[in-house]
Amino acid sequence: MSVVFRNTKLILVIIISITVFIISILGGALGNQFGGGFLGAPLAHIQISAETVTKIKITDGYKYALTNTVIATWLSIFVLLLLSLFVKKSISDVPGRLQSIAEIIVEFFLNLAESMTSPEKARKFLPLVLTIFLFVLTSNWLGILPGFGTIGKIESREDAIHHAQDLAEIQGKKFHESDVHTIIFDGEGSFGLLPIGSIRNVKDHDDHSSDHKSDEHKHKAVEKGKQEGLLIPYFRSANTDLNTTLAIAIVAMVLVHFWGFSILGFGSHLSKFINFKSGPVGFFVGILEGISEFARIISFTFRLFGNIFAGEVLLFAMAFLLPLIGIIPFLGLELFVGLIQALIFSVLTLVFASMATVSHGDEGH
Amino acid sequence: MSALTPLGLNLSGLITQIISFIILFTILYKLLYQPVINMLDQRSAKIKDNLDAAEKAKQDIAKSEESIQDSLEEAKNERRQMIVDAKEAAAKFREDEMSKAKTDIETEWLKARSEIQREKNAAIDEVRKNFAGLVITAAEKVIDKSLDDKSHDEVIEKVLKKSL
Repeated sequence: MSVVFRNTKLILVIIISITVFIISILGGALGNQFGGGFLGAPLAHIQISAETVTKIKITDGYKYALTNTVIATWLSIFVLLLLSLFVKKSISDVPGRLQSIAEIIVEFFLNLAESMTSPEKARKFLPLVLTIFLFVLTSNWLGILPGFGTIGKIESREDAIHHAQDLAEIQGKKFHESDVHTIIFDGEGSFGLLPIGSIRNVKDHDDHSSDHKSDEHKHKAVEKGKQEGLLIPYFRSANTDLNTTLAIAIVAMVLVHFWGFSILGFGSHLSKFINFKSGPVGFFVGILEGISEFARIISFTFRLFGNIFAGEVLLFAMAFLLPLIGIIPFLGLELFVGLIQALIFSVLTLVFASMATVSHGDEGH
Repeated sequence: MSALTPLGLNLSGLITQIISFIILFTILYKLLYQPVINMLDQRSAKIKDNLDAAEKAKQDIAKSEESIQDSLEEAKNERRQMIVDAKEAAAKFREDEMSKAKTDIETEWLKARSEIQREKNAAIDEVRKNFAGLVITAAEKVIDKSLDDKSHDEVIEKVLKKSL
């Protein structure tokens, strides 16, 4: 009896899964070709540079471009500020849950640092390493929240084409107006979001279509209280901007070398890179080491950026192809990647810091 | 920077992010690391103190147990000594009393004897005194008759013997 019951349950689960899968395919990009697409979101406009949400006029000649990654950065700073305020407020000998988590993280890195260097140096390196870990982790995990990349302001088609033209000019590419895929949004205001099934609202401007037809489309779009344009998200995962990752890498490497100079002394640390004592080979090796320090900044920058940006694109693509279920395994993957990247960045900083504060003579031991 | 623009790199964004990161660093340093590390240090110091205190208490207990044992032993010895002393004192007291009683008795006895002796001597003297008179009387009686030397001595002897 129980076996049969279990089997019917199993069958039910299989049927539901298959149904969900079929609905997902029909609602996604594939179904869209055959009149479906009631669930999918359009493949978002993917660009490497962060989108400018608003321009703030500072002086007459200069306007500061506030990008969505900067907003996300401040959001993660705010989240961390709140969490640490909670921890500080209720700190006690008998830890609460939040304090336990904070202590686990701090102790993990403290033990790691103490196993690599002396305890005094570990205390010195800890704040930077922890800040990198917490910031990268928080912004990576915030970046996969719903709302990131799907809520934003609507940029009109004319502006979008204008921006795309500028970008193509800088890149030296030829610009096609048909490359700009706009979406039709409900409502009049500048606030927009990508609703379920918005994949059907993508407006194609084919090269084949005549100007007459294009005009007709435009009229059709505007007449019913709708507007055509591109979505500029308010939030975009902070580490999908090279400025963010480069900023962290620069701060990390500057501090690492500051420690190198302050702990070893100016001459001793500098002699690792400009070395006249060990002959021409030593001098060449020193120059190579100097170059590798810069290579570290670049690898820091692009490793984090590449991983998180790829994850973002993957999630967009999954929401486009297999809405509803396709995104689920990749959300888990992104959580994992976000943690791993945060660990890699912080632990590598720790390793570089402990290497930089060991004098050249000691390295051979 | 213009060659890097397609990558989204620009000076204003970079400076913003560096400043943001430094602000975050400061915030976390003041609000998270310092309190948490202080707390961890305090706690480990506290645990160390408590362990030390427990160890010390253990040692104290052992020490006081030892001292209790010592004082117990001491008390036992003292008691034994006291009993011995008391016994000795009792024996001595008894001996003293006994010898005292003996000497008392002896002196009493001697006294009594000397008294007796004295009484006896006195009695003898009395008798002697009385005897002289008697002798004179007896002599007078004998003289009335014929008294030679020989009978004289005989009389005295006889009288003396009788009187004693």
